[in-house]
Amino acid sequence: MNLRPHHFILWGLFIAGMFLMPELVGKGTLRTMIFACYLAMFAISWDILSGRTGYISFGHPFLIGIGAYTTGILTRRYGFPVEASIPIAVLVTMAGGLIVLLPALRIKGSYFALVTLAVMELMYQLVPVVRPDLTGGTRGISRLPALTRGAENGYYLAVGLMLAVALMAWLLMRTRVGTALWAIGMNEESVRGSGLSTTRLKSFAFLVSAGVAGMAGAFYAHYLGTITPRAFFDINVLFQIIVAVLIGGAGTIVGPIIGAFFMVFLLEWLRPYLPGQERFFVYGLIALVIYMYQPRGIMAIVEGAWTRLRGARS
Amino acid sequence: MMQIIIQGMLLSGLYALIAMGFMLIFSIGRTLNLAYGAYIMVGGYIYFWLSQQLGMPKIVGFGGAVAVGALMGLLKHRLIVKPLKGDPVAVEISTLILAVIMQSAMVLAFGDASKILLPLIPGVVTVAGAQVTYNILAATIMSWVIILALYAFVRGTHTGRAMQAVSMDEKGAAISGVDPDRINMITWAISGGLGAAGGVFFASYTQLSPSMWVAPVIISVAIVIVGGIGSIIGTLIVAHIIGFLEITVVAVLAPELRGVFTMVLIIGVLIMRPQGLFGREEH
Amino acid sequence: MTMALEVRNLVKRFGGLVATNDLSFDLAEGESLGLIGPNGAGKTTVFSQVMGELRQTSGSIALFGEEISSLSTAQRIARGVSRTYQVPRPFSDLDVRENIRVGLMPDSLRAMIFGAADRDREDELALSVGFTRQDLDRPASELSMGDLRKLEFARTLATGAKVLLLDEVFAGLTTGEIAMIAEVIQDLRHRGFTFLMVSHDLPAMEPLVDRAIAIERGTLLAQGAFADVLADEAVRASYLGVA
Repeated sequence: MNLRPHHFILWGLFIAGMFLMPELVGKGTLRTMIFACYLAMFAISWDILSGRTGYISFGHPFLIGIGAYTTGILTRRYGFPVEASIPIAVLVTMAGGLIVLLPALRIKGSYFALVTLAVMELMYQLVPVVRPDLTGGTRGISRLPALTRGAENGYYLAVGLMLAVALMAWLLMRTRVGTALWAIGMNEESVRGSGLSTTRLKSFAFLVSAGVAGMAGAFYAHYLGTITPRAFFDINVLFQIIVAVLIGGAGTIVGPIIGAFFMVFLLEWLRPYLPGQERFFVYGLIALVIYMYQPRGIMAIVEGAWTRLRGARS
Repeated sequence: MMQIIIQGMLLSGLYALIAMGFMLIFSIGRTLNLAYGAYIMVGGYIYFWLSQQLGMPKIVGFGGAVAVGALMGLLKHRLIVKPLKGDPVAVEISTLILAVIMQSAMVLAFGDASKILLPLIPGVVTVAGAQVTYNILAATIMSWVIILALYAFVRGTHTGRAMQAVSMDEKGAAISGVDPDRINMITWAISGGLGAAGGVFFASYTQLSPSMWVAPVIISVAIVIVGGIGSIIGTLIVAHIIGFLEITVVAVLAPELRGVFTMVLIIGVLIMRPQGLFGREEH
Repeated sequence: MTMALEVRNLVKRFGGLVATNDLSFDLAEGESLGLIGPNGAGKTTVFSQVMGELRQTSGSIALFGEEISSLSTAQRIARGVSRTYQVPRPFSDLDVRENIRVGLMPDSLRAMIFGAADRDREDELALSVGFTRQDLDRPASELSMGDLRKLEFARTLATGAKVLLLDEVFAGLTTGEIAMIAEVIQDLRHRGFTFLMVSHDLPAMEPLVDRAIAIERGTLLAQGAFADVLADEAVRASYLGVA
């Protein structure tokens, strides 16, 4: 995509708006936005791997969970300061993901998706029973040290992290690696036939994706203060991540962000009418309709409408 | 020991039944139909609704579940899989969304709490010191009957052979006068019905809850892939490996570890031998 | 003279089927060799083995004197051999320039991240195979069959390979496009590139090759000057259906 001045203006307005938000909205909305920011980071992480290369990961909750649990265990059980535990959590997520999922990059399509799904289910079953003295079993770990005080600071931290992740992903995807990852998603054999080792490229995408997931998972755990297996290794978490990417637009940076905010706010608006898990019913239907109508998401719908509008004017 | 063998046989039969329906779809489109879990779950709930809430005869409840499952299969093919033209990634994702929608729909209709399903056939018999409910015995016998019937159908009837032909080479089958569209619809309907039937038994074996679908769907996908795609015998064998593995783990180690070994086995085999233990290599 | 490619006693079996049967041939540096044979003779299988997409059952393949049988496809390409495919395999959502960019990329993550794309070289390659300036920003999904072949050829050139295996480069091209590609090939021959090519368009291929070999069912039938190979009795029997 070629950059135009209006892109910079839009991003500038977006960032300014995000940082002004605490002046404009209440604490409740701010909390919703914090969750949206973390979801956006998870979504960007998923998109770096799956949105680009076409290797669909159903195991991202697993990566996020490793990050969260590592920092949780280190700070609560071993008394590590968060400055040390979060970087370690990122490394552990990358290493853990590498050990479990890297061999899976040799296999393709549905097989990769299935292995990642099985890994997530494995963690869900394993975490409560292995060393419950460390993981806290099904009840998880609570009273994680907080990084920030009050909703406003938590919000600034979340927005700052999200923008940093988005910027990093954007810069990376603009390089030739980004093009090559895209190309893998379109035709892996041809990338190999162009003299590139696709395994190395995929592993790289996977490592970056895992690093982002681990970092976001660790910060999110400290924001929540409590982690449980149900809250991380769950199909609903996976659903929210994937839907955020697809609704926003896979293979773009702004898409996952839009998708995450759209999803979180839609769920929030539905809350008064449908308090329980039923919200996912309406939400899922909307997601399915958007996906069936335009698999490239809201971004493509907006772009299409914009083009048509300009076409009608001229 | 006897206990393990009997329990293992029973659980394996149940898994084989659930996996069969999934195999039909996977061998045709190579699509990871995650909404297969929705048939299992919805089947259980429809049975619960008809026979326990409305007080209809159990056989009506069972028939209703199978019919709804088959209808769901048909609708899914018509409304989702066909419009997406079998693009595997799109199908995987849309079926995941659909499964979560159905899960929420069940919460909406029946609430979040898990339910105990009254057995299809009540009563307990003691075989060689092992307590066997008639219900799970019926599930096992039923699964064997269905598996044999399916085998006879695929091998012996014109439609069954056409299904095989479509699964091997859709274009080739079309050229030789088979209407792949019709065959696909039949297959999706049978698959939905089998899933729902499996769901009724699975739910009465464990319990009925809106999130019950994830584990059986992973297990059935894995049984099919590990067994070698399209191989009914392979599917049977692997269903028994997993069934016995789980029962042994529960009896010897700890009940909580039951799923852990299954997942490790699945992951291991998929990575080492993606073509499955009994399958031919695919390109 | 250094041999660009030496294939010795190459055998490839698929189960009971013998796809390549004890095939040996040489390709001198700067030489252009036509590989001819009927459909299913095993020409593409030979390409796949040279590129490492298929592993041979036995036999050896050497590139510039170095045995490459144990190398990955990427490593072989880095050593200077590359191929086109019978059915073009473009990156459909990328434009012409980006498609070529993938071919130009070095196989090093560091270089790919920190180095910039060489736009001039991308344009030069695209124009050299007959694309117009307007084509450069068109996505591959919009290109015609002929354009896709040109794109494939350009991307193969972009890998920097000195030994080029061309599989049916002329199929689906107009007479004008054939002339254009032929001109590019001639130019590359003058610059010392080595070619192994397969084509059903024998008249188009004839001026582009120094020599030809004919195979049938993976077995060498004849080799020598193009006209002599075509005149060979066995070749005529198998290939042209003339007794």
